[in-house]
Amino acid sequence: MKKLLTAIFAIASTTCALAQETPASPLEISGSVDTYFKYDFAKQPNNILTSFASDHNSVSLGMIDLALKKKTGKASFVGELSFGPRGQTQSIPDAASGNSSFHIQNLYINYDFSDKFAMTAGYMGTFIGYEVISPVGNFNYSTSYLFTSGPFQNAGIKATYKFSDKVSLMAGLFNDWNVYSATRGVSSVGGQLMVAPVEGWTAYLNVLSGAGGGGYGTIEDLTTAYQITEKFKLGLNAANYDIDNDGGGYSGVALYPQYAVASAVTLGLRGEYFKTKDVGAVTGTKYTAVTLTANIKSGGLTFIPEVRLDHNGDKPFLKNNGLSAPNAGQFSLAAVYAF
Amino acid sequence: MKKYLVLIIFLATFIRLSAQQKQLPLDDRGKYIYYEVVDTKTVNKDSLLQRAEFFINKVYKKSMKQESSTDSSVLASGTLVIDKTLLVAGHPSGEVKYNFTVEIRSGKYRFWLTDFEYIPYQRDRYGNFVATTNIGTPLEKAPGKLNSGQWKDILGGVSVKATKFGEDFKKVLATSRSEKAKKKEETISTKKW
Repeated sequence: MKKLLTAIFAIASTTCALAQETPASPLEISGSVDTYFKYDFAKQPNNILTSFASDHNSVSLGMIDLALKKKTGKASFVGELSFGPRGQTQSIPDAASGNSSFHIQNLYINYDFSDKFAMTAGYMGTFIGYEVISPVGNFNYSTSYLFTSGPFQNAGIKATYKFSDKVSLMAGLFNDWNVYSATRGVSSVGGQLMVAPVEGWTAYLNVLSGAGGGGYGTIEDLTTAYQITEKFKLGLNAANYDIDNDGGGYSGVALYPQYAVASAVTLGLRGEYFKTKDVGAVTGTKYTAVTLTANIKSGGLTFIPEVRLDHNGDKPFLKNNGLSAPNAGQFSLAAVYAF
Repeated sequence: MKKYLVLIIFLATFIRLSAQQKQLPLDDRGKYIYYEVVDTKTVNKDSLLQRAEFFINKVYKKSMKQESSTDSSVLASGTLVIDKTLLVAGHPSGEVKYNFTVEIRSGKYRFWLTDFEYIPYQRDRYGNFVATTNIGTPLEKAPGKLNSGQWKDILGGVSVKATKFGEDFKKVLATSRSEKAKKKEETISTKKW
């Protein structure tokens, strides 16, 4: 860690010196730190099995996230590393190193062939879905079933063509989900159509087909957000994942209305319906979840108090006494600092 | 330990210096403004107008858009990217939309930037900083106690960027493009002593 920080400072200093000689953007350094307290109403850790914030009645760690970016001429890179449970054991690819290593969030190189056309290669945050690993990129601190079940990251190569500020198209070849190197070859093809029909409204239509979670399959995904007024924003994520040969998959929809009640305080709701698909003779199961979240901002710091209630008629949750239950609930308070 | 203390003091000093950046003045409407009047006896009105349009449509074309023009004025809108500095590096923290006006008379011109609206940036899933919303907050609208420190930094950042913009604009209006094109880059010959 010490070596890494020293290296960052050294790179930053060098950049400052070189900046006087070559026309290049300065090295960008950014990141975040997050910590949380969560209380499960049935006093059960891991009662709601979506990603992150898994501990019960504990002041626990999220992650420290450090990102570097630099652009020289038409070429740029992004390198983003995270340390801590959210960025290590809970971010999947770390299992090979005994869940003890850091996790790469982004590590890619981009080249802008023109103002309209760019190509990117490396390991990137997934283009599928509404929510992301970094707590800075999400309104809610807990995550949705859609996020948890979908890809977190994709390694691959992609080309993006910007027709205008309102329309762009991306197509790419990718490894299987969440791995630094392919286990099944460059086995997926993906695409994204971005449209911005009116100012403030952006929609992404995504498709990813190939090796993924549970086998070979195809995800279709719609992710959209509309800043309707200065105070009101509405987001939506809908996805369908089919794994070949009756291997299951999922479908679901989540709605994200958010309302700014004051300049520093925004309230938001996440309502989600999520269904896993039948795998052979095993029938799928349905979840509904409602999460009420506040974001209270002071400079780089955001406090995120949150109450979440989940329901599933198949009783996958636990009561205080350990018996199965159709409902689960939790309260959490997170602090996220972005720099 | 000593090294870390020096580093912390240096950082604290740097942050303090950043916080002391000066702010823009208010105009008679109560809006922040960057305003300058420039005497220019040697350049005629038409040339100044051409150079102003060249500045908007060529020099600052990535961040500006010309809205309208007359035979003695040009109106444009644009954005300034505000940076957050951490030690010697940093990242964009937001952008400020503005309206730009230049008015030209014989022997002098004046220009101003005003109607500033701030849009914060947030890091996206790929590590790039992008606008969080399309609706800006007027710089005059105080954000409340919780974010007043950050707002002061933004006001300071706008002042720095607007001043740089003003310097760039004056430089372009003082330079003839045809003369600039004719002027070759100086080269050094090793054939002669």
